[in-house]
Amino acid sequence: MTEVVAINHLQKRFGKFEALKDITLTVNSGEVFGFIGPNGAGKSTTIRTLLGILKASGGSATIFGQDVWTDAVAIHKRLAYVPGDVYLWPNLTGGEVIDLFLKMNGERHSAHTDELIKLFELDATKKCRTYSKGNRQKVALIAAFSSDAALYVFDEPTSGLDPLMEEVFQTQVLALKRAGKSVLLSSHILSEVERMCDRIGIIREGRIIETGTLDAMRQLSRSTVRVTTTAPLADIAKRPDVHQFKAEGDHTATFAVDSENLGAVITTLTGLGIVTLQSTPPTLEDLFLRYYNQGGEHDGQ
Amino acid sequence: MANKFKSVGLVLALNLRRDWLKIVFWLLGLGGLMTAAAAKFDGLYSTQKAMSSIAETLSTPAMVSMFGPFTPKPPYTVAVIYGAMMMVFMGLFAAMMNVYFAVHATRVEEDAGRTEFILAHAVGRQSPLAAAILELAAINLVAGVLEALGLQAANMTGGSAAGNWLFGLGLAAFGFMFGCFSLLLAQVASSGRSATILSYVLLGGLYVVRMGTDVQNPDLSWWTVFGWIEKLNLYTKNTWWPLLLMLGLSAVLLVAAVALSTARDTGAGLIQPRPGRARASRFLAGPLTLLARLERTSTLIWLVSLFILGASYGSIFGTVGDLVKTNPAIGQLMGTGALHAAGRTMVLTFANKLSIIFAVVATIPAVITLLKLNGDERGGYLELVHAKPVSRLRLYISFLVHAVLVGSAALVLGILGMAVAGSASLTATPISIARYLRAFVGYWPAMLVTLGVVMVVIAVLPRLQAWVWAIPIYGVLSLYLGNMIGLPEWATKITPYGWVNLVPASAIDWGAFAWMTALGLALMVAGYVGYKRRDLLTN
Repeated sequence: MTEVVAINHLQKRFGKFEALKDITLTVNSGEVFGFIGPNGAGKSTTIRTLLGILKASGGSATIFGQDVWTDAVAIHKRLAYVPGDVYLWPNLTGGEVIDLFLKMNGERHSAHTDELIKLFELDATKKCRTYSKGNRQKVALIAAFSSDAALYVFDEPTSGLDPLMEEVFQTQVLALKRAGKSVLLSSHILSEVERMCDRIGIIREGRIIETGTLDAMRQLSRSTVRVTTTAPLADIAKRPDVHQFKAEGDHTATFAVDSENLGAVITTLTGLGIVTLQSTPPTLEDLFLRYYNQGGEHDGQ
Repeated sequence: MANKFKSVGLVLALNLRRDWLKIVFWLLGLGGLMTAAAAKFDGLYSTQKAMSSIAETLSTPAMVSMFGPFTPKPPYTVAVIYGAMMMVFMGLFAAMMNVYFAVHATRVEEDAGRTEFILAHAVGRQSPLAAAILELAAINLVAGVLEALGLQAANMTGGSAAGNWLFGLGLAAFGFMFGCFSLLLAQVASSGRSATILSYVLLGGLYVVRMGTDVQNPDLSWWTVFGWIEKLNLYTKNTWWPLLLMLGLSAVLLVAAVALSTARDTGAGLIQPRPGRARASRFLAGPLTLLARLERTSTLIWLVSLFILGASYGSIFGTVGDLVKTNPAIGQLMGTGALHAAGRTMVLTFANKLSIIFAVVATIPAVITLLKLNGDERGGYLELVHAKPVSRLRLYISFLVHAVLVGSAALVLGILGMAVAGSASLTATPISIARYLRAFVGYWPAMLVTLGVVMVVIAVLPRLQAWVWAIPIYGVLSLYLGNMIGLPEWATKITPYGWVNLVPASAIDWGAFAWMTALGLALMVAGYVGYKRRDLLTN
């Protein structure tokens, strides 16, 4: 598998403010990479640095093996981008903007473009001044999906879309994935990331704090267990691999277990006589919240 | 009814909080200019002889077209000369200030989406407009008082408190009236940008019409509205009632603006945007053609305006150069041949002054284009373009090429307008169009140098880019008024427009052409070096 995007210890300072402290991640060919993090964590700054809009203060970043700053034009020939805030020239129509963006890539308005305009239900004859945020995003999405790129970069592309359009977006991304394209998707909609992304990178305060597949991250995290036993549960709470123990009487409790020790805990519970047992793997949201709430602790590891 | 204007005070406070620095700059600029010029005048025109001489100059059609009619009768005083020379000029500046604040307080705020946010609170539907009206009234009142106090302090010979206060408050009423025009146009236009364009078309149109009526028959200037500032008879009769006329028209305009504003939606003008093309034209394919398409309407307006401005000035060349008719006694003395030659020189000298104005005015649309490079970047419009295989060099050059083309076209059209109308009106001593076009070759490199400086500022000091307007503004001030307010020679050489010889009266200085062009290009290259290295501006 070849690396399409390779970011190595990337840093970016704005004056004294360190927006990116240490970003290291790779996007492999043919994969959808989910980029998640809270507002202000540095997602857009990372993406803008990848696009050569901002100049890195340290570290390196390449796309297709080329430097993102010096070879920006060559890279952009094979890249499609949709920003989080789409600003379009107020006195052009959506249709004009789509065609202009395609032409700038040396491409043409195709049957696929018309199909996308229909799918996203865009009125392309309206002036951009009259579009809502969602409609402006549709214009950028149609231009991006309709161009034949090797890497697609989406920066929170669905923040203004309604659920139906979000569905269209996901279908299109999955189609790209089937076609063997690479996708870098920054998003707040964790269900979207969970559904589409092969690997995920989590960023917090300018650092990548975790990358990997969702499964691997779940391994590193904790499952939630709700159990009722015949014998009292009090001793379980003292185990070092059990957290957030909440008793509901002596025999029923809800707690979190480090995923790698789940087996050992269940063995102990079996000894106590299990009446009911529910074990839920952590959702991405759990992971996300855990990384943020306990970020400081995690950084120390 | 009261609900419509709820919380107007809060909105006004917010506006003032937003604008205070700009207000301070405008007020200091206008008040300072008035006071400094007035303080200087006593020294410049200390004798009756000096005053008679300047009065004679100001009575020539060329000067009347620029400064308004010279109506005072001798014996002159310094204050009388000052009033006659400054009123039209200061009125123009006061009107420009009001266009700016009127459009910014209304449509620019709406375009930015801030008005929507404000109206979502317990704020009346008409409060933003009412706050804009109050803000304009306050700015003008303070400006008028400052100007009057400045004149009091300058204490010109022949000046009077009545004249000083009439001048200051007259400018305030005059400026406010144009602010009200802008508020009205802001209800009609589809965006802040078009509201500004419409306002300037109106202001420029009235100014040009006034120029014509002043030269032909100043009584007709009553109909131009702009001419009302001339009817104050400063420091002579001190006529106050045109002030009432200005305030009366302002009231009518405001009633209309409020009425129209109830009929429109926030963020939209009365002119509804029509649906456009579903597909881009073949022409729209890259950054340069994108700029040309975006700026199409305003470019057209600039080019036509420059031609009309040139033609309006050119059309009075017949009157300017006809010394035989204006001075029959001298004609008999010198012979008509010599008089024709003198008239010709006079026209060419006037054409030189006008060419400076055309050059500075033609620079404005070019600078607007260049400032868009950062403006659109900051506004997020260029983010998607930067993600395309469009290099920074190509983008930089696209903006430059568009700016230079529009500036050059505007300059050549201004001069051509002057040449064509001048040739038509100047039948006794014809001057060839090629001779007029010397002015284009002369002033074009000065424009190039200005654009080069602008590019360096845009690339290296993007935060300070608004300051580049100082170059054209200073250019006009130093070269238009320089002689009359006794600016030293070196001070007129600070601006590139001051480096040019007296084309079309003198021959083209090809040496200057070459080195100024080279300097302009070098500055543009230097700008690119800075632009290439820095972060693009993001919001």
